[in-house]
Amino acid sequence: MHQFQIERFAPFDINGIDASFSNASLFMVAGVAAATLFMTQAMSKKALVPDRAQAVAEGAYTFIHSMVRDATGAEGVKKFFPFVFSLFIFIFMANMLGMFPIFFTTTSQIVVTATLALMVFATVIIVGFAKNGLKFLKLFVPSGVPIAILPFVTLIEIISFFSRPLSHAVRLWANIFAGHVLLKVFASFVPMMAAAGFVGVLGSILPLGMTVALYALEFLVAFLQAYVFALLTCIYLNDALHPGHH
Amino acid sequence: MADPDTPPPSAPGSGSDPSALRRRVAQAQAEKARRDAPPEPTNAGTLALRMGGEFGAAVLVGAGLGYGADYWLQTSPFGLIIGLGLGFIAGVVNVVRASSAYAKDHPVDPNAPSIPDDARD
Repeated sequence: MHQFQIERFAPFDINGIDASFSNASLFMVAGVAAATLFMTQAMSKKALVPDRAQAVAEGAYTFIHSMVRDATGAEGVKKFFPFVFSLFIFIFMANMLGMFPIFFTTTSQIVVTATLALMVFATVIIVGFAKNGLKFLKLFVPSGVPIAILPFVTLIEIISFFSRPLSHAVRLWANIFAGHVLLKVFASFVPMMAAAGFVGVLGSILPLGMTVALYALEFLVAFLQAYVFALLTCIYLNDALHPGHH
Repeated sequence: MADPDTPPPSAPGSGSDPSALRRRVAQAQAEKARRDAPPEPTNAGTLALRMGGEFGAAVLVGAGLGYGADYWLQTSPFGLIIGLGLGFIAGVVNVVRASSAYAKDHPVDPNAPSIPDDARD
């Protein structure tokens, strides 16, 4: 489908690796720019009684702050709040920009979501080993398991651990991708039916209404998936800080 | 920005100031309401995609690890077969974990009407 096609604006090649500046890159930059612009503009006044923009910015801050604190504790919130907040705002802005017609949705590309998920995965591993040393491996060895099946359970835990970045990435990508495809399908029914004469024009109201309703749902999904991504990030980071506390 | 965790420094005599106390009570109540809010969506489609993703991801990773083991140890096809089996089990473990976490966050309403027993009719 046309809306998911990558167009290279500035072809660029590093040793056979395609690093062109494409429409995906453009909308990622736009997402970062929109987030930065909004946060700095909204907080520029630092008023004691916030205006609407400042209330939204502070609301987003406290929303993510309390989520990170609930999931990772007082220690985790000090270390990981900036990371999780940046992730949330970036994904949210990318999803929201994608809701504009014509615009490109960066989170509908699995490369983008996989990169974000692998970033979280790498952070968990690095922080886990840096903070707990080899005790981090306790994550794979649940306590209270009979010694006879322990190696088996450990193998399963390892596979379960490595499946995290995959399900993490796929969940965001699949939700956004499926939503946009569904919108496209229902929207394309409208001209198809309208071409079939007077009855078709009357009937095309049905898919049109469905498209409008789905569009509203997609706004909810855009927010929810950014939130779910951030929430899962917190849960995984909590494992890095406290391995063995399942 | 100040850390919202730390309580405001209490000036001498602030404990008896009713307006400060009222403000802190309101703050704590708002905090509790926010924490009690359902943390994850209850949308059926989202939930289905989530459980499916948890399961499928583990199967794919298990197969991938098995295939990798085959590649390095020259044991094809046993690594792939065992990896697939283990991935399948890990997928079930993932789904059980996700659904029990979900059930903990969304306890069943004890006053909900019971499902009619279809064995009788």
